[in-house]
Amino acid sequence: MKHRIISIRIVAVREINRMTSRSLYFLVVLAFPLLSILFFSSLMKQGVPTRMPVGIVDLDQTATSRKIARNIDVTPISKVTMNLQSENEAMSQLRTGNIYGFVIIPENLQADLLASRQPVIGYYYQNGFLIAGGLMQNDLTLILHTLSGGINIQKREALGQSKEFILSQVQPIQLNTHLLFNPVSNYSIYITSIILPIMLQIFILLMTVYSIGIEIKERTSHEWLHAADKSIFIALTGKLLPYTILFFTVMMFQNFMLYKLMQIPMHTSIGWLIFISFIFVLTYQAIGVFCIGLLPMMRHSLNLSAFYGILALTLCGFSFPVESMPPVFQYWAAGFPVRHYMHIFQSQILAGFGFRYAYFSYICLLLFLLLPLAIIRRLKSALIYQNFIENKHKT
Amino acid sequence: MKNINPGLTSQIREGFGQMLQIWVREFRLIFSDVGVMILIFAVPLIYPVLYSFIYYPEVVRDLPVAVVDLSNSHDSRKFIRDLNATPELNVLCQPNSMEEAITLFKKRKIRGIVQIPETFSNDIALKKQTTISAYADMEFFLYYKALVTGVSFVTLETGYQIQVRNLIQEGMTGQQAETIAEPLRLVDNPMANPSGGFASYGIPAALILIIQQTLIIAIGIMAGTARERHASGNLVHPNRKRMGTLRLVSGKAAAYFTIYALLCVYMLGLIPKWFGYARLADFVELMALITPFLLSGIFFGMTLSAIFKSRESSMMLYLFSSIPLLFLSGIIWPLSNFNPLWLMVREIFPSSNAMFGYIKMNSLGASIFETRKEIMSLWIQTGVYFLTACLVCGYQAHIPKVLRNNTAQ
Repeated sequence: MKHRIISIRIVAVREINRMTSRSLYFLVVLAFPLLSILFFSSLMKQGVPTRMPVGIVDLDQTATSRKIARNIDVTPISKVTMNLQSENEAMSQLRTGNIYGFVIIPENLQADLLASRQPVIGYYYQNGFLIAGGLMQNDLTLILHTLSGGINIQKREALGQSKEFILSQVQPIQLNTHLLFNPVSNYSIYITSIILPIMLQIFILLMTVYSIGIEIKERTSHEWLHAADKSIFIALTGKLLPYTILFFTVMMFQNFMLYKLMQIPMHTSIGWLIFISFIFVLTYQAIGVFCIGLLPMMRHSLNLSAFYGILALTLCGFSFPVESMPPVFQYWAAGFPVRHYMHIFQSQILAGFGFRYAYFSYICLLLFLLLPLAIIRRLKSALIYQNFIENKHKT
Repeated sequence: MKNINPGLTSQIREGFGQMLQIWVREFRLIFSDVGVMILIFAVPLIYPVLYSFIYYPEVVRDLPVAVVDLSNSHDSRKFIRDLNATPELNVLCQPNSMEEAITLFKKRKIRGIVQIPETFSNDIALKKQTTISAYADMEFFLYYKALVTGVSFVTLETGYQIQVRNLIQEGMTGQQAETIAEPLRLVDNPMANPSGGFASYGIPAALILIIQQTLIIAIGIMAGTARERHASGNLVHPNRKRMGTLRLVSGKAAAYFTIYALLCVYMLGLIPKWFGYARLADFVELMALITPFLLSGIFFGMTLSAIFKSRESSMMLYLFSSIPLLFLSGIIWPLSNFNPLWLMVREIFPSSNAMFGYIKMNSLGASIFETRKEIMSLWIQTGVYFLTACLVCGYQAHIPKVLRNNTAQ
């Protein structure tokens, strides 16, 4: 046992020496992951987009129409940046991207309202951008409905109805929307908390494949195996251990950013957080080992892990829910640890539901740790026979 | 003058011939490399189709929700039927209490809860305001959106009907009642992606990003491989030292440009056609945007290849940028809310303006003039990166001479 630990240490020290010999290691293990954390946590710092530019086409030019423009301007979501002369001009500004939406106030609006002629107000918004479009729609609909309700109230007051009665009549059914588990509808929490693990899994996958693949490519795998007493388990453990520690540290820093600095609610103990982060790193290292074992020629296993790593963004189902995808992809999605991680995050960390609602996801994650066993012999023979060296024909 | 002219033309002809040679040579190198072939053919061919199938349903339909009906009356049952009739919602069950509903929610059997109060029917009869509570799952933005859209629609509709009914009971005509209940008619016009479909939203941007990323990584792999093969570790083959930098850069660029121009026909022409994405831009408009995009991407890739020392470097050091670049384009987080630093970083990558411009042209029908900002930026990037690519290649071509001179001494 003691002998094994010494061997693992020898391999780990050898790996650390290799890591310090090239800047690539430093960039992929530390610099780029930290840069990504910085990028995503600062990009959406506001939580909800505010003061998005909108235009007004005021063909009425009365007190009422100016009030509408003012009401739109004072909401936190939108800001009137342009007063336009015609629908065509407004549409062109929308197409150019200078405004995210606009409202057309028709001629004779005030007069038509007074005469109960039901004037029409049209509003347009760029729905090609999901978040901006959704917010614009909510904001403009709400403002104009409130305005419509206000006129309704005025008319009823003129009819002599009492204030309380009017309120109950104008809106017979009120809707109270409660947001479960993300009480402030905050996009930053919603996006950053999942996108950062997705970024990290790309780095872990690539780094694992590279650190093993480069031994085959540069024919140093014999030396590596000798250092490990010819045991593939010691060789892999010793080699991957420094990365496990480093990536785990990066992930804990990421957790610190998420739960301390960005104040995402964390309804579980720090112990669970450490455990899940640790499992997350190990899982992706296991998949990395699987990739290089399956395709010991590094160029191909890097392609494979890149393909798989990028696909996680889609198939973890945080943008478009997995349950709404065609059934075949729902099974695919189970093959992405980040999906199980997301479930644990949402259920246990964010909502505080308790372990029994997330245990199945833990089992799935742990199953990935068995993957290397499937290819371990293939990998060992590739290390010994070096039969996957690419031909370097001189050009 | 007469002496100079023939010399100049023959020089141009010679230069052009050498450019063609480099072009053909680069072609041969690309087509003899399986790894690069997979990257620039398999990935652009497969990814768009795969994404299109994954996002094929476009929107969230029939979100499973629970309704806790404490009123249990004719009115509440009608309300539930209306909820079920919306495309967004599917009333999966009607548990007896909120506790039961929350347990179902924890087990992920349902994705939202609607509660109808005990007094619902009485309130309506007594002309009092009543309150419906909706509990939305904010973990998934699209679930939240589906629940809120469905419930708000039914609430507003039912409320409007009650209001008109009450007004008619008070002795108004139907017409009068309607103008009081709805003094303004509001017409909602979502542009670019009227149904808010996810594939229509994400895939056009993804297409542009895939083009740029595979291009840059492929150029990086080629450069890294060349460096590994040549002892001097440089990008340019020492024997080619006589070929000018300009010829080298334009010859290589021409090789990538022809391949990617063909790929664009597939990705930006056939894919949107097959899967029914917006296609408002005509051929000329797309050309005006895509030409500078491809050129700037190629020269950007050649510039970056200065830092890719081995074959694997570009994949290791550049792949991760794909996800941040999606956010930098401004299609997820609105540009008006970017801080100045990220707006500057945004301008480094050709994909930012190309994605934005492509969506404007194809989904909103923006003209070339309305896309001028993006097109201009792409041409500026083309110019700048062409110069940096020349610098990189020129510097690399210069090294072997220095090395040789040193060893000669």
